[in-house]
Amino acid sequence: MRDRVGLTWHPLLAASILAERERVDLVEVIPEGTFLESRRAQPALRRLALEIPVAIHGVSLGLASTTPVDQRRLDQFARLIDSVRAECWSEHLAFVRAGGVELGHLAAPSRTDTTIDATAANLRRAAQTIGAYPLVENVATIIEPPGSDYDEETWLSRLLATTNSDLLLDLHNLYANGRNFGFDSAAVLRSIPPDRIRVIHLAGGTNVHSSSGEERWLDDHLHDVPDPVYELLEIVGECVPHPVDVVLERDGAFPPFRELLAQLDRARTALAAGRMRRTAT
Amino acid sequence: MSPAFEAFLARLYVDRSARARFLADPNREAAAAGLTGAELAAAARIDRAGLELAARSFERKRREPKWLAHPVARWWRSRRSGN
Repeated sequence: MRDRVGLTWHPLLAASILAERERVDLVEVIPEGTFLESRRAQPALRRLALEIPVAIHGVSLGLASTTPVDQRRLDQFARLIDSVRAECWSEHLAFVRAGGVELGHLAAPSRTDTTIDATAANLRRAAQTIGAYPLVENVATIIEPPGSDYDEETWLSRLLATTNSDLLLDLHNLYANGRNFGFDSAAVLRSIPPDRIRVIHLAGGTNVHSSSGEERWLDDHLHDVPDPVYELLEIVGECVPHPVDVVLERDGAFPPFRELLAQLDRARTALAAGRMRRTAT
Repeated sequence: MSPAFEAFLARLYVDRSARARFLADPNREAAAAGLTGAELAAAARIDRAGLELAARSFERKRREPKWLAHPVARWWRSRRSGN
């Protein structure tokens, strides 16, 4: 077994990914909007999964919520994952709807015991329906989650202690939150039980400003991966004992494909540097 | 935090007029949503710059569902609207 490095699937990248198959080890597919709702689209995804390892990455279940997860949505995921024979599936530690309001995106939950218990219950229900626990992804937030009793590190560690789900660790989300709310993302990374880290996300973002002039870092998936995120990836290579999958998330403003491949190569180099340090110690 | 608090946050993130009422008088809007005690206090302490930026980000995401963001869909819509 070895570390693998790949990309988020996007229709505009499809031909390039298949043409450069030997340099892209896996793809991660967001099923909402296409494959989840359309049974006619699913054969294409099944064919893709025969060409290259596919992971399913949900954005709509809202598992980190005090509201029980929608069984109908879970059933849809179960049918898709079964049909595609995806290697694994993952979702975000976020809520996406509440009180009849659809956010249309991921919101960080209040970091409390209540949300830990409710999230753990949703993860159990998801596992019962789909047959496997999802990997859970830490989310970026531009607002300090209101009503929180814990910081991100404590909430995450308590949740992991409560559930069988392992972690899809998004290093850019960790970097963005550290930058926005003044914590050391490298220290938080080192505090996470390394045996629970299975998949890594890399992405980019940009500065945004409020009307009062306050600056925050927005995780937008439209920019190149910043240098500090590669440094975090080196720490992953150093600390995590088993092979990991690393996925570069890019949703738009695509550079030439060779530049995305160069970012994958840089990720391999960073991970290898961390592995070397691990071997040396 | 309760489902009521989560619903309150969701409304603040997406409803411009609810957000404006809240920023003008946090306690009144939070109490009107049925929050009490610790939740009322948490609402009053909200990160205001973060709320503004989060609401802006959610609005941008909602405005353009994923499939509509696809360049081919954009091109098709511009053809249909004659732009």
